[in-house]
Amino acid sequence: MDALGLFVAVLRAATFSVGGLSSLPLLRESLVAPGYVSEAHVLEAIAIGRLSTGPSGLYIVSLGYFALGWVGAAVALLAATLPPLTLVVLAAFVRRWLLTAWAAGIVRGVALSTSGLLVATGIQLVSPVGAVQVVLAAIALALTIHGRVHPGLLVVAGALVGVALGMI
Amino acid sequence: MRHAKQASGRSLVELAKAWLVIATQSVGGGPSTLYLMRRELVDRRGWLTRREFLEDWALSKLSLGINQIALTAMEGQRVAGSRGLIVALAALLLPAGAIAATVTAGYDVVRSEPLVRAALGGGGPVIAGMTIGLAYTFAQGAVRRGWRGWLDRGYWAIVVAAGLSGLVTPMFVIFGGAVIGLAFLRGEPRRASGEPEAG
Repeated sequence: MDALGLFVAVLRAATFSVGGLSSLPLLRESLVAPGYVSEAHVLEAIAIGRLSTGPSGLYIVSLGYFALGWVGAAVALLAATLPPLTLVVLAAFVRRWLLTAWAAGIVRGVALSTSGLLVATGIQLVSPVGAVQVVLAAIALALTIHGRVHPGLLVVAGALVGVALGMI
Repeated sequence: MRHAKQASGRSLVELAKAWLVIATQSVGGGPSTLYLMRRELVDRRGWLTRREFLEDWALSKLSLGINQIALTAMEGQRVAGSRGLIVALAALLLPAGAIAATVTAGYDVVRSEPLVRAALGGGGPVIAGMTIGLAYTFAQGAVRRGWRGWLDRGYWAIVVAAGLSGLVTPMFVIFGGAVIGLAFLRGEPRRASGEPEAG
């Protein structure tokens, strides 16, 4: 994969998603399926995104790095930055329209679609499964929905369990 | 309504400093970044009123891609015009991107070590569970009240099944979602856009 291909893949994923992690299904389709990065890279990129600073969508930078090194990280950051800026332009002209029921319907449809795809992606990421993996995923799922535990702590706790149990 | 301080008295260096604080201290993703944005821009510096911040936050939920990039751009523009937009984006994304890339580079060096692989063995399922949890809460925020909520949940369940089946491409599902949303999922624009009731 070259820098242009990565730029297009990230731009496409960011353009057709609403919210940071919701670009994951499209990125997985563009980068994992052809073998540019592995499923393990995807998990690692999300973990690094959760342990780093800034918006959670910046896991894209890590994924870009895994695909093409430093150049890939820079290209991915640039490509992910462009689609959100369209809202600034739109808001300047049609701010009132953006808060109508019509716009809300489109956004709701896309949001439910991307979140449904993200659930399917999460399920695929946890498989193939053993009992310990299922328990860890279920605990993380419950705590994330509950929303009282810092995501970085969850990742670190899972990593410590993995080390303690020798989960290679 | 309390008004924000006027933009004329504000230097771009000050603006960059505020966003640098957000970029370097917001560990953990969206919620901590949002919290720091509000603390730095509304509570600490008074550049935006709470209402202005909430209005932009609501609008940012309509954004393509990473919402908080759109929010950053809108806040930067509110505070100091187009130069403010550029400074805010640069001061947030360049340090945060550099930190993410550097951490990744460091990780890449040790990723084949047995200890790291064991850590991923435990961390991987946790990340998958968190991804599902985040997606679920994301969907809950878009679901309408009353009987129409069940229509939304039904559509969402169909999408999950379609995603697991692998029979349709994500692009098809997303485009289909936009069309179905326009036709059947309209209403409650304030809540759908995420605009809070108060503020």
